[in-house]
Amino acid sequence: MKTNKKVYINNFDSISCAGADSNELFDSICQKKDTISIDSHYVEDRSVAIGKIDSDIEFNELLLKKCENVLKASNLEDFSNTLLVIGSSVGGMSETEKIFFQDKTYQNIDYKKHPIDAIAYCLKQKFSFYDDVSFSTACTSSANALGYAKEVIQKKIYKNVLVVGVDSLSYTTVCGFSALSVLSSNPCTPFDKNREGMNVSEAIAILLLQDEKRENAIELCGVGYSSDAHHMTQPHPQGLGASNAMQNALDDAKITPTDITYINAHGTGTQANDSAELNAIFNLFKTHKPYIGSTKSITGHTLGAAGALEAIISCLVLLEQTIVPNKNLYEVEEDAANFPQETMKEKVSFVLSNSFAFGGNNTSLVFGLAK
Amino acid sequence: MKINLEIIDAAFLCDAEQIDNLKTKELVPKMVFRRRLTRASKLLIELMSTVGFKEGRIIYGTGYGELLSTSNILKAISDNSGVSPTDFQNSVYNTAVSYASILSKNTSEMLTVSSGDETSLKVLKVGAIKALDLDEILLVVTETFNIDNIDEVNSCKNLLESAVALRVKVTKKEANLFYEEGNLDVNVPKSISHMFKIAKEFTPNKNIIEVNL
Repeated sequence: MKTNKKVYINNFDSISCAGADSNELFDSICQKKDTISIDSHYVEDRSVAIGKIDSDIEFNELLLKKCENVLKASNLEDFSNTLLVIGSSVGGMSETEKIFFQDKTYQNIDYKKHPIDAIAYCLKQKFSFYDDVSFSTACTSSANALGYAKEVIQKKIYKNVLVVGVDSLSYTTVCGFSALSVLSSNPCTPFDKNREGMNVSEAIAILLLQDEKRENAIELCGVGYSSDAHHMTQPHPQGLGASNAMQNALDDAKITPTDITYINAHGTGTQANDSAELNAIFNLFKTHKPYIGSTKSITGHTLGAAGALEAIISCLVLLEQTIVPNKNLYEVEEDAANFPQETMKEKVSFVLSNSFAFGGNNTSLVFGLAK
Repeated sequence: MKINLEIIDAAFLCDAEQIDNLKTKELVPKMVFRRRLTRASKLLIELMSTVGFKEGRIIYGTGYGELLSTSNILKAISDNSGVSPTDFQNSVYNTAVSYASILSKNTSEMLTVSSGDETSLKVLKVGAIKALDLDEILLVVTETFNIDNIDEVNSCKNLLESAVALRVKVTKKEANLFYEEGNLDVNVPKSISHMFKIAKEFTPNKNIIEVNL
C-alpha cells in the first residue's frame, strides 16, 4: 500500500554515555570525546570497556523525564492521540537480575516488570497513549520501531507516533557478549584493521514522528528490511542481507545510491560485522563513495536503542550539515572506503543508517531534509 | 480504523508441560542445526509446516521470550559458572523466528512483537497493518514457560507450552469470527489468548476477523 504521505521527525531527546541530551551527544561525537569507561564489575576476572550513563537518577526516572521533554517540545497537549512504539532488546532484565541475584529465587519478580513490555508498562504509569506496541529484534529493535512508525503514518492510520529506543546495561548482555568473545577491553575501534571487538552500552533515545512537519523537521524518507537467513550470530560474510536492506530503503525513499552523502554504519567494531557491512556497502555503492562513519566508538553499542540513538545522530548530521568523524580509526580496514577523520561542514542531502542484529535481522533507514 | 483479515489456515498446540510428537527430526534433518533449537523455535517450525507457510513476511510474538535460555544465563552469572554462548544467542526474543528464517532460507522481513499480556492482540494489529500491502503474512505467537521453579512466578497458567499460527491476507469481506475480550480461554496465557481463540474456532466458513486499531 503506497501513499505519498510524508513522515517527519519533529523532535527528539536522548541520554547515553556520550551525553545527557542530544546536543551533548553530537558535541561528544564531533569532538571525539572519551566517553567509554573500563569496568571490572560485570564480567568475572576481566575488565571490559562499556558505555554507562553518568547520572544519579534511576534509569526509569530518566526514561520518564526524557518522554516529558519530548512532549513539552511538541505541539501535543498529551499523548492521548499518539501511538507508543518501543524498541528494546532487554526490557526489564536489569530489574530481574537485581532481584534474582539477591534472592536466588523468582518469587519477588513482578512479571510485568521483567519482559520487553516493562518499558511500556513504566511509561503508561505516567502517560496515557492511544495504544502501544513493543518490538524486540535484538540490535535492530528501535530501527524496526522507527520503520513501523513510518509505515503507520504513511498508511494514514496514526498521525503521531512516539518511538522509544531503550536498553539499560545488564549482566546478561555484558556477560553474554563476553561469552561470544566479541567484547573489547578498550574503547572500540570500528573499521580499524586492529579492532578488538565491541563495547556494550546503554541509552534512551526518543523521537516524535508526525504526519505534518514543524520547525527543524527531518523526513524519514525510506525504510528497508531483510533477513540474512544465514546464521544466528554471524552476518552473511558478503553482506547480502545488509545490502538488500539498504537497497530496499533507497527504493522506499525513491532515491539512488548517488544521493547518499553519509552512511551511519552499524559498525560495532567486531571482525565479522565490520567486514560484512563494508562488503554490503561496496556491493551497492560501486562508483559513488559516500562518507562512512561509526559513532559506536563514542556511544558504545546501545543494542536495542542503537537504531533510535543513531537516528537522532543522523538527524543532527542533516540539521547541522556536518559530517562526523570516526574516532579511534588509525589503520582502515578498506582503503577504498571514505572514512572521515575530522568533523567537516558539508552539504548533506540524505543519510543512510544501518542496524543489524542476531538472527540476521537487517533494517536500514534513510533520512533527508524536510522539503 | 478497522482492517479485516481472511484466515487462510490456522493451527495451535498446547500442553500442560511439554508438547510431544513434534516432527522436528523430519522438518530439521541436520542434527547440528536441530540441537541448537529452542522449544519456541521447534513449535514455530512445526506450525509453519502445519499451515503450509514457506516464504514471506512473518510477524512473530512472544510476551516473555526465551525463558529457559534466560534462566540458564541468570543462574550461570549468579553461580559464577560462565555463560554459555548458545544460551546467550538463544536468549533474544527473535530467536525462534530467526531459526525459522535460516531453516527455510526466507529472506523476508521478520518482526518480533513483545507486548506482555497483549502480545497476540498486538500481533494481530501489526499483522493487519502489514497485510495492507496485499501479501500473505504468517502471524505466530509462542509461549514456553516450562522451566524449573516457574511456579515461583506463575500461579495461574495451566498450559506451560502453547503456540498458535494464522496465515492471513487482507480482505473486504465481513467478519464472521469474533474474539472478544470476555470470551477468551483462561487456561492459555493471556499473551496468546486472542489468536488462540481465533485458531480454535477457525473453519472454512468462520474465517474472517475484524481487527480494530
